[in-house]
Amino acid sequence: MTDDRVLFDNVSRFYGEVLGVNRVTLSIPPGITSLVGPNGSGKTTLMNLMAGLVRPTRGQIRVLGIAPDDPQRLCRTVGYSTQFDSFPRGLTGYQLVASFLRLFGFDQPKCHRLASAAIERLRMGDAAHRKVAAYSKGMRQRIKLAMAIAHEPRVLVLDEPLNGLDPLVRSETIALFRECAAAGRHVIVSSHVLHEVDQISDQVILLSNGYVVAEGQIQGVRGEIQEHPMQVLIRSSRPSLLASKMFEQDHVVEARLAEDGGAVLIKTRDADRFYRALNVLALDGIDIEGVMPADDNVNSVYEYLIGGGAGL
Amino acid sequence: MASQLFSQISAVMRLELRKSFFSRRGLWIYLLAFGPALLYLIHAIDVTRDHEHRQALLASHPVSSGALHLIRQGMPQKQVLDLLGEPYLKNEFLQNGRRRRGQDISIYHYTDGESDFTFFIVDGEVANVNEQDRCNVTKDSAIFATVFQFFYLRLAVFFGCVGIFTNLFRGEMLDKSLHFYLLAPMRREILLAGKYLAGLSAAVFIFTVGTALQIAALSWHFEPGQVAAYLHGTGWHDIAAYLGVTALACAGYGSIFLAAGLLFRNPILPATVVMLWESINIFLPAALKKISVIFYLQALCPVVAAPEADTPVLLKLLISSAEFPPAWLAITGLTAVMLVVLGVAAARARRLEINYGTE
Repeated sequence: MTDDRVLFDNVSRFYGEVLGVNRVTLSIPPGITSLVGPNGSGKTTLMNLMAGLVRPTRGQIRVLGIAPDDPQRLCRTVGYSTQFDSFPRGLTGYQLVASFLRLFGFDQPKCHRLASAAIERLRMGDAAHRKVAAYSKGMRQRIKLAMAIAHEPRVLVLDEPLNGLDPLVRSETIALFRECAAAGRHVIVSSHVLHEVDQISDQVILLSNGYVVAEGQIQGVRGEIQEHPMQVLIRSSRPSLLASKMFEQDHVVEARLAEDGGAVLIKTRDADRFYRALNVLALDGIDIEGVMPADDNVNSVYEYLIGGGAGL
Repeated sequence: MASQLFSQISAVMRLELRKSFFSRRGLWIYLLAFGPALLYLIHAIDVTRDHEHRQALLASHPVSSGALHLIRQGMPQKQVLDLLGEPYLKNEFLQNGRRRRGQDISIYHYTDGESDFTFFIVDGEVANVNEQDRCNVTKDSAIFATVFQFFYLRLAVFFGCVGIFTNLFRGEMLDKSLHFYLLAPMRREILLAGKYLAGLSAAVFIFTVGTALQIAALSWHFEPGQVAAYLHGTGWHDIAAYLGVTALACAGYGSIFLAAGLLFRNPILPATVVMLWESINIFLPAALKKISVIFYLQALCPVVAAPEADTPVLLKLLISSAEFPPAWLAITGLTAVMLVVLGVAAARARRLEINYGTE
């Protein structure tokens, strides 16, 4: 049974004297699992440990029965979309994915087939032959996802995968996660946006200061989210129009232009309705370049959940 | 299995070759590699123009080479003029010393079209004869040997390898792009081999082309007959030896700086230490000389670059002599050093982690 799980057994990781994660014991089943926690809580360290990019200082990790110090087997099983936006220079999106697949030892036709399929799945076909350096934040996220899924791994590890995606792509990407989970794969997603977690997760692991403070089903988080307004930064070429349209919605309590004049900051009490409204505006032709969580208040929810010892 | 390894190594090499050859940050490496060739070319152009100038002077003041070589110290001024005729340039002046009476000094300049002859005539007698050769193959070959060993190998190839090989791992850590490779299912030794071979291919290509261009530029001003005679003598062997030494230098220094990029956060520090060690190699006792790359490279060079005649005596005393090993031993020694260093680097690569410091 344990060979279909991602297992952490009393795992600690320190960076010198700085704590990454401490005494983490987890058993992650297939499905969508969200790692939730404020910045610096240890989400990325946990993901790097799963993908073998860092080694535990103490404890043992098994990903579907594979130890992370066996990269030849592990990397065929795990697809990791990191938070890092740097890639080998001078490559187009297609070249990036195909070159990555070449490192697996696949022959040229197989690389072409897998790369094309992954790029199409992320709807990146039009931009596939443009240089990655010229991609927007959202396109970079998608090409990273394409790299992560291209070799059809059984475990997908995705670090803040929805950051910077516009509403349409966001919902398509969430649908992709669900499809993967329905096929019996592990989809492990990190996020500090509780609304996202609520929308996509089967289970949640809540991290704070390097410790796992709670894990389990999602329902307990939902009520807390509803009570706290959520702030989102939307980048658009027409931020004034977007702000005025958004302000017409009764769930939007505040809409103001960002200081650089290229974005609008929205505060809403109903995230579901907010995203539906944003989809409608995007379909009406308002250019939306990216949607970023900008929620300081989320920390108060974390504090409530963490400090109150909420059972999830 | 073997085909998969080969495929993975070639995939790494393809990506790394692009970086090594076309990195904007690496433009200075081309300058180091091709700068000396440019200087030799300027020298060749200068020598050619100088030769044309001498030929023009010879046409206006004809004189035979044999007659010029007859002039000796003590020969009367009149006899010089009878033998050679009027010089193409003449300086005459009276020199007054503190103790001595004034001396009549004449300086006569002649040329046979190839060399310049200057005769210093004091009080009507030849006091000094100075012949300035046009560059010849032997002379230029000695100059090339010195520049090659003391500048090209110790500085150009050395720093070029610092730039190419430390960048292979350390550069990607700084760019935060190393995870691209570490997320692929391949042994770290394979990654290291792919990167090293890519760096080596780039370095060998750039610096051997640089060496070949230097030799070509240096021989450009010689008559075709002189070049043919040189090539049929030791020329081809010398050229092959210089190209081979350049390639071996890239392999040796490359392995050291690849390892430095993996072992040290700031590879400039170990590079400085290695450079100092290689620089003082000439002053080290014989046993210590052998623990260096330059010692073996010098052993393989076809022309020994000896200390200059005007090197200070004290410095000459410090320069210890160690007998160079035979070529096969030098190549084996260098290969052994390279393999040991790459082994250390592979052990480090196996434990390599991504720590971009974002957490």
